[in-house]
Amino acid sequence: MQDYSDKRFLVVDDFSDFRSSVKAMLWDMGGKDVDMADRGEDTLQMCRNKRYDIILHDYNLGSGKNGQQVLEELMVGKLISHQCIFVMVTAESSQAMVLSALEHEPDAYLTKPFNRASLAQRLDKLVERKQVLKPILQALDKQDAAAVLAACEDIARQDKRYAPLCLRHKANALRDLGRHEELERLLSAVLAERPLPWAYVLLGQLLHKRGDLSRAQATFEQGLQTFPMMPALYDGLAAVLLAQGDSQRAQQALEDALKLSPLAIRRQMQLGKLAMDNQDFDIASKAYRQAVDMGRTSRFKSPENYLGLAQALTQQAGDATLDKRVQVEINQALGEMDKSYSGDPALQVRSRLTLAASLKKSGDPARAAKLTEEAVKAMAELPELFAADTALQVAGQLRDLGQAAASDQLLKTCVEVYGDDPAVMQGVAKQTSDAGILSGGKEAVELNRQGVRCYQQKQFDEALKLFRQALALQPKNISIALNTAQSLLRQGGEKPPAELLEECRACLEAVRMMPASDPRHERYQQLRRKAFGQ
Amino acid sequence: MSEQPDGLDIATVIASTVHDMKNSLALLTQSHAQWQAQLPAELRQGREQGIIDYEFARLNGMLVQLLGLYKLGANQLPLHPAYHELEDFIEAQLARHQEVLQSRQIEARCEVDSFDLMGFFDQELLGSVVANIINNSIRYARSQLLVSAWQEGEFLVLSICDDGQGYPPSMIEQQSSYVLGLNQSSGSTGLGLYFAGRIAALHQRQGLQGRIELANGGPLGGGVFRIYLP
Repeated sequence: MQDYSDKRFLVVDDFSDFRSSVKAMLWDMGGKDVDMADRGEDTLQMCRNKRYDIILHDYNLGSGKNGQQVLEELMVGKLISHQCIFVMVTAESSQAMVLSALEHEPDAYLTKPFNRASLAQRLDKLVERKQVLKPILQALDKQDAAAVLAACEDIARQDKRYAPLCLRHKANALRDLGRHEELERLLSAVLAERPLPWAYVLLGQLLHKRGDLSRAQATFEQGLQTFPMMPALYDGLAAVLLAQGDSQRAQQALEDALKLSPLAIRRQMQLGKLAMDNQDFDIASKAYRQAVDMGRTSRFKSPENYLGLAQALTQQAGDATLDKRVQVEINQALGEMDKSYSGDPALQVRSRLTLAASLKKSGDPARAAKLTEEAVKAMAELPELFAADTALQVAGQLRDLGQAAASDQLLKTCVEVYGDDPAVMQGVAKQTSDAGILSGGKEAVELNRQGVRCYQQKQFDEALKLFRQALALQPKNISIALNTAQSLLRQGGEKPPAELLEECRACLEAVRMMPASDPRHERYQQLRRKAFGQ
Repeated sequence: MSEQPDGLDIATVIASTVHDMKNSLALLTQSHAQWQAQLPAELRQGREQGIIDYEFARLNGMLVQLLGLYKLGANQLPLHPAYHELEDFIEAQLARHQEVLQSRQIEARCEVDSFDLMGFFDQELLGSVVANIINNSIRYARSQLLVSAWQEGEFLVLSICDDGQGYPPSMIEQQSSYVLGLNQSSGSTGLGLYFAGRIAALHQRQGLQGRIELANGGPLGGGVFRIYLP
C-alpha cells in the first residue's frame, strides 16, 4: 500500500454520515490531513486556499453544482494541478460518465457503496499512475505542449499499460502545437484500431478547423452512431452544421446534447444565440434563462445571457403587447446585470437599449425614448469599440427604436473597422441597402488582400506598398492597420529608423479602440510592445 | 394535459424504484459498516456479519442487474469502452468482496498472463457482470477462488473459477438457451447468465462478438465461468 500520511485529502459529500465513514477509511489507511465539505461551491473555495493531493467528490450533491461542474471549474480556473487525483463518487456511475465533459474527466469513478479495500485499491493504483505520468502532468501544468509530447513518447515506450493514456495526451499536444497532419494520421490510426469518443471529437474538430466541413460532419455522425450519449459529439456536429449555414439542424444537435446534459451553461448560451438567429424565441428564452440561473454560481457567467434573455422575451411577444409578468422578468434580468457589471459602460448602453425595446412593446414609449436617447449619448463616449456582432446587434436595436441616423453611423464604423470580414459585411447588408455604407471599404479590402498574398510570398516591399495604400483609404480597419504595422516593423529590422517607427505607432494608435475581446487583440498588444518599446 | 388511459408504464416504475432501492441500500451498507467498526473486535467477525455483508453485496448485484436489464430493454445501455489494465480491473473486483471472502475464509487470487495485459471494454458493465459471478462463486466455493485473464487469439478471456461442486450438468448443457433468454424458469441464476451474455455480446469488433461459457473442472476443480471479449 502507498504512504498516505503526507497526502492532503478533501472529501465532498452532502451526507455527513458518508463523509465521516470515508474519513474513517482514510485514517485507517494512514491519511492524517482530511478536510471535508458538503457543497461544490465550498470545494472551489477550499482549493483556492490549499493544494490538495487527493479529492473524493460526490457527483450528485443535491442542490447547487454537481461534481462534474465543480471539476470543470477547478480545471479551467487552474485551482488544481494535473497531478491532483480527482475521484468522482457516484450512486450510479454510468450516468455520471455519460455526462462527463471529455476534456475534464475525473481520474476515476467510485460507485457507492464501497468498502475500505476498494478505496485503498483504487487510490493505490491512481497514486502509482500519477507517479509514472508525472513528467507529462508537470508539463501540462506548465502548458508546455512540446514537453508533453516528449514525455509521452518516453513513458509509452517504457510501459505499454500507459500507452492509451499517453496517446490521448499526445493527440492533445499535437493539436496545441498545430501539427495538424501528424495529428490526423495519429487519430485515424487510433480509430482504425478501436472506436474512442475522444478521438472522434478531436478528429472532427481538426477537420472542421481545416475547413473540410463535409468530412468533419461525417466524423461526428459516425462517432454518434457508436456513442449516441456523448454530448461533445453533438457540440462538434452543431458547430460544423452552423459553419455550413444549416443553423436549423445545428440548433437540433445542440438541443440533443442538452437533453443528455442540461447543466452546461456554455452550451445553453450557445443554444440561446442559435435559436435567436433562427427566430425560435421560445427555445432561446428557455436556454438563456437556464444560462442566467446557472451563471449565478459559475465562473462561466456572462452578460450576454442576461441581454439574450431580455431580447428573446421581448421578441417572443411578436407584435402583441408585452405581458406585465414578462416585463418584470426583463427588468429583473437587466437590473441584475447592471449590478454585476456596473463598471462596464458598453454593457450599460446595451442594457438601456434592450430595456427600451421591451418598454416600447409594453406601452411605455416615453420612457423607451428617454432611455434610447441616454444610450445614444453614452455610446458616443465609449472608450472601446463594440465587437462586430455586438455592433450589428446594437445597430438593429437603434433602428427599431427610431434612431436611424445613429444606426447608420454605427454600421459605417463597422464597415470601416471590420470591413475585411465577409460575415460582417453580410450582416451590414441585412440592415441597410445604402451604397455609401456598403461599398465604403471595398477597394481597401482588395488592396489588403493582395498585400497579404505578397507578404506570404515574401515580397515584403510590395506588400508594404499595398498595405499603405489600403490604410490610406481605411485607416480604422483593424486588419489593415495591424498588417501595415507588422510590415513596417519587419522593414525596420533590429533598429528601426525613427520615421518608420513613428508611422507604425500612428497606425496602431488609429485602432487603439479595438475591443479587448477581439481575437486579434493579442497580436495588437505584441506589435504595440515592439513599436513603443515597452 | 390529458392522462394516459392505461396509467403507469410498469417497467419504468420498477426501474425508478430499483434506483431508489439501490441508493437506500448504499446508505444501509455504509451505515452498517460504520456501526460495525465501532463494535469491539470480538463482535466484529461474527458469522452474522459475514451473512450480512454477503447479502448486501448480493442484493446490490441483483439491483444493478435489474437496472441493466431494464436499460437493455429500453435500448438505453450504450457501451463506454476504454482501455483497461486487467490486473487493476480484477483486483478492484476482488476488493469489493473482501469482507465476505475474509469471513468465509476463502482465498481469492488474481492471475494475469502478463502484468501489463490490457483489455478494451466497458469497465462498469463488465464489472457488474463479474461482481455477480464472484458473488455466485463465493456461495459455492470451499476455500479458493481464482480470477484470471489471458489473450487467446483475437479474444481476451476472463475466467472465474472456484473449488466448489461445479454447475449442475443440465445448466452446462443448456447454457445457450439461458443466454438467449429462452429458459427463464430458474430465477436469478438464469437471469444472471442472460445478463452476462448480453453484456458480452455488446462488445464487438470487426465482425467478432463477445460471449460467455460455463464449464466444470478448471484449475480448481469447481465451476468455471469464462467471458470472451473481442
